Amino acid sequence: MKESLMKKTAWAIIISILLLSTWFVFEMAKNARMETDLDEYMPKEHPAFVYNDQAEAWFNIKDGILIAIENPEGIYNHQTLQKIKDITEAMQDMPEFEAADIISLYTADNIVGTEEGLDVKSFYKRVPQTEEKIAELKQNVRSNEMVQGRLVSDNNQVALVVASINDSVFSMEFYEKILAFAHSYEGPENIYVAGVPIVEGTMAYLGPKDMKTMVPIVILVIIVILYAVLRSVRYTLATLFVVLFSTIWAFGLMSLLGIPIYAVTIMIPVMLIAIGVADGIHLYNHLDLFMQENEGATKVEAIKDMLKNMWKPVVMTSVTTAVGFISLLTSEVLPIKYFGLFTAFGVLSAMIFSLVLVPAVILVFGIKRKKIIHKNDNNHAGFAYRFAEKTLKHKVLVISVTTVLIFVSLYGTSKVWINSSFLENFERDSDIVLTDAFINKHFGGTSTINVILESENNGVMIQSDIQKLMDEMQTSVEKVETVGNSFSIADYVKRMNKVMNADEEAFNVIPENNDLIAQYLLLYEMSGDPENLWKVIDYDYRKANITFQLKSDNSKELNNAIDAIEKYRKSFEEKGVSINYAGSGYKALVFTGLILTGQIKSLILSVIIIILLLSLMFKKLSIGLIGSIPVILTALISFGLMGLLNIPLSTTTALISSIAIGIGIDYAVHFIDRYRINAHETKDKLATTRETMYHSGRAIAFNALVVISGFLVMLFSVFPPNRSLGALVSLNMFISFIATVTIMYLVLYKSNIFFKKKN
Amino acid sequence: MILSAVAGFSTVKAQMNGQQIMEAVYNNPTGEDVQGELKMILKNKQGDERVRELKQYIRQEGQDEKKIMFFLSPADVKGTSFMSWSYADGRDDDQWIYLPALKRTKRISSDSKADYFMGSDFTYDDLGDRHPSEDNHTLLREETIDGHACYVVESVPKEADYMYSKTITWVIKDNFLGLKRDFNDERGNLLKTLHIKKFEKINGFWTILNTEMHNVQKNHTTEMIFSDVKINQGVPSGKFTERSMTLGQ
Repeated sequence: MKESLMKKTAWAIIISILLLSTWFVFEMAKNARMETDLDEYMPKEHPAFVYNDQAEAWFNIKDGILIAIENPEGIYNHQTLQKIKDITEAMQDMPEFEAADIISLYTADNIVGTEEGLDVKSFYKRVPQTEEKIAELKQNVRSNEMVQGRLVSDNNQVALVVASINDSVFSMEFYEKILAFAHSYEGPENIYVAGVPIVEGTMAYLGPKDMKTMVPIVILVIIVILYAVLRSVRYTLATLFVVLFSTIWAFGLMSLLGIPIYAVTIMIPVMLIAIGVADGIHLYNHLDLFMQENEGATKVEAIKDMLKNMWKPVVMTSVTTAVGFISLLTSEVLPIKYFGLFTAFGVLSAMIFSLVLVPAVILVFGIKRKKIIHKNDNNHAGFAYRFAEKTLKHKVLVISVTTVLIFVSLYGTSKVWINSSFLENFERDSDIVLTDAFINKHFGGTSTINVILESENNGVMIQSDIQKLMDEMQTSVEKVETVGNSFSIADYVKRMNKVMNADEEAFNVIPENNDLIAQYLLLYEMSGDPENLWKVIDYDYRKANITFQLKSDNSKELNNAIDAIEKYRKSFEEKGVSINYAGSGYKALVFTGLILTGQIKSLILSVIIIILLLSLMFKKLSIGLIGSIPVILTALISFGLMGLLNIPLSTTTALISSIAIGIGIDYAVHFIDRYRINAHETKDKLATTRETMYHSGRAIAFNALVVISGFLVMLFSVFPPNRSLGALVSLNMFISFIATVTIMYLVLYKSNIFFKKKN
Repeated sequence: MILSAVAGFSTVKAQMNGQQIMEAVYNNPTGEDVQGELKMILKNKQGDERVRELKQYIRQEGQDEKKIMFFLSPADVKGTSFMSWSYADGRDDDQWIYLPALKRTKRISSDSKADYFMGSDFTYDDLGDRHPSEDNHTLLREETIDGHACYVVESVPKEADYMYSKTITWVIKDNFLGLKRDFNDERGNLLKTLHIKKFEKINGFWTILNTEMHNVQKNHTTEMIFSDVKINQGVPSGKFTERSMTLGQ
């Protein structure tokens, strides 16, 4: 082919890639949709979620937005009481809420005993004016355990409005609207807004916002370092465009298929940046070395040599990486399946761009020719040679350090724990954490676990022995440090028994007589709106819902509470009553567990696939095993370090282990392939190690340097999960790099693989 | 009172206006006393059902009305009785409940007539007779539903913060029996629909035997089925005392 024709083809390739990418950008702009409803992330058919959905429908379990109204002078004054009423009524009128889902002192039922009988009334309808009326209201609240400490703090300074809302109703706009609404009531009272929907909303808001500021800086740093390494503007830009276009194509295809953007989708560009620069660096590295050795070569010759030598490792690394990500399809979590699939697509796009765009850019814009590099590279070569020799010399050290690291990591891995906490994603002194702490200090807790009791027969839940067991369980679980309080049908029955017996504390117990409990409940229904009753018991008295409030959404604390609840499982089962769990806190716990087991399953699966693929590619099983060394070490050490540093696994941190596969395998394949070629060409072991270290080792070092510097920038992020992301990506890159050029290299050397036939 | 909403004979009349129609409904002669069994079937949106059977007695004393009900089932509340005295002069109802397990009669009081009766979809006000002078009535149209020619009357309360912003009643032309009623909530949205599913002439009075209230917002329904209804059999005044509550039906 003539050079001019080649040049035209190159232009055509560049332009068509640009056009296609532009089209994808338009598709993204048209169809891209953020998915903020966390329920959409969960596998709907999983038994725990199926049950949870049912339970949520039975008892109208929803997450609550908590608005706390604080008056340091106390809430018992006309103005604050008016404010509680105003906020309640305004929220009842909002289309996003159902009126019955707004609970406050204004809407609460006051079950009271009168001299003649029982009365269920509101604490106030018209805001009391006189001091006597206000004092009476205060007395009513203080003597009602169902309200005191739940809707009004024990120090009388804070009142709570709890507004339950369906996850599906919650949106970013609504989040902003409700915050603005609440804060418009500020002064002289302080207003605090908390609750699971607010925490999730803040996360959905802060995460991407922080990413938007961090990613350009990351890219900028990568550009600078890339330039420092490649010493050429066009090479830097071409490498960058490979990453950029592959990201655009991955997102464009997602939009085209109507797949929404999930929180984990943000990890796709992260992965592609970390993985995508590798191909370019290796290609240009080869080109550079070729030009050094063949100074008079034309650019067509250079490109031909580059492609001839490098297409294989580029394809091999990309295919293995893609397969590694495709193994995420085994996950039960839909967004993670998509993450795996589209990252794989992006990796393969990056491969095509590298093989097509990189040569095209060279053809069109020419080749970099600089003499200065020569000297520099002699230094590089000297260093690479020395490094190759030193590593061999100190093999005992390398092996023992690796062994120690493996054992320490195994120990660390055993300490890894999962945290589904949303709140711990925020800074300790951030508004949302402080607000949460404030409400937790004054009330039962901002997190909830719902315990669903179920029996085969109608009426079981109102039997005295079952109610006593509920009451006993509540008392016992409330002793767990973070459990603030609990609420169930037993609380209603105790309250009624007390007020029907002249408010005597001795009657604040579950009565012995089953019929009496049934009659109390009938009485309650006849005295007021029974709507509230159906949040704790079902129509047939066959199922009951006990709500435990916790002051933390940390998984360890949730599990502590669940352990305390589980102690009662046997006692309930003996009476034919089963225990199940529901509510968003529990769902998050199950969900995180699912992500983690899925992640570990796919990690093991992909290591097996990689070993097989490598064995096939190099036609040797031993190569497959050697090539998996960096992958396994990276995964192991990063998990081990998390365990040792007490960094819990979350959805983000668990996903980063995927990067270990993508990067570890790239390094290994490039290194092994170069080693194979050199062995074949030189037939000399020392020369092979030296040249491989100089060629591949150099490119791998460049690659690691570029990506690590880029991601270290994220350590300055204001959003803690993005900080751990930066740290872990950098760490993974570093371990992969070191593992490849030390222990893997050593094993490869000792195995004599490409020399055996000669010996 | 729905149970005793009975109608006089209708003769061919000149075109009536909304006010006159609702007055005719209100002024239907009622029996002095009514007794019978009531089966209440409550159904929630999940389709769960609760069934309660009661024996009830009602007696008119001048403009006031006395009522006593005894639970027959479910078993754990059998013998529980409920008595109410409603006054025409606007005083709050007096209400008592007798709990056999506690062996005590207790007074209960409800804040307002907007409270729901026994967890049903009927408020106390829905069950009572609302005086036509409390609303402004407009005859909207005439139409035939369920085979009955009806007047369709819209009633808007004069009182500003009444629990319904308006009601629309389908009144059977022949007997001035309300056949259907839509209730709109404070915000003007349809809240509930009342449907009379069965009525019969008993002892000369048109009597409702099956009525269903459907809360469309909560998707909750209450069906009331009356059986063994006897009118003007002479229920004595002494039936409506705290003592008789303890004796069972």
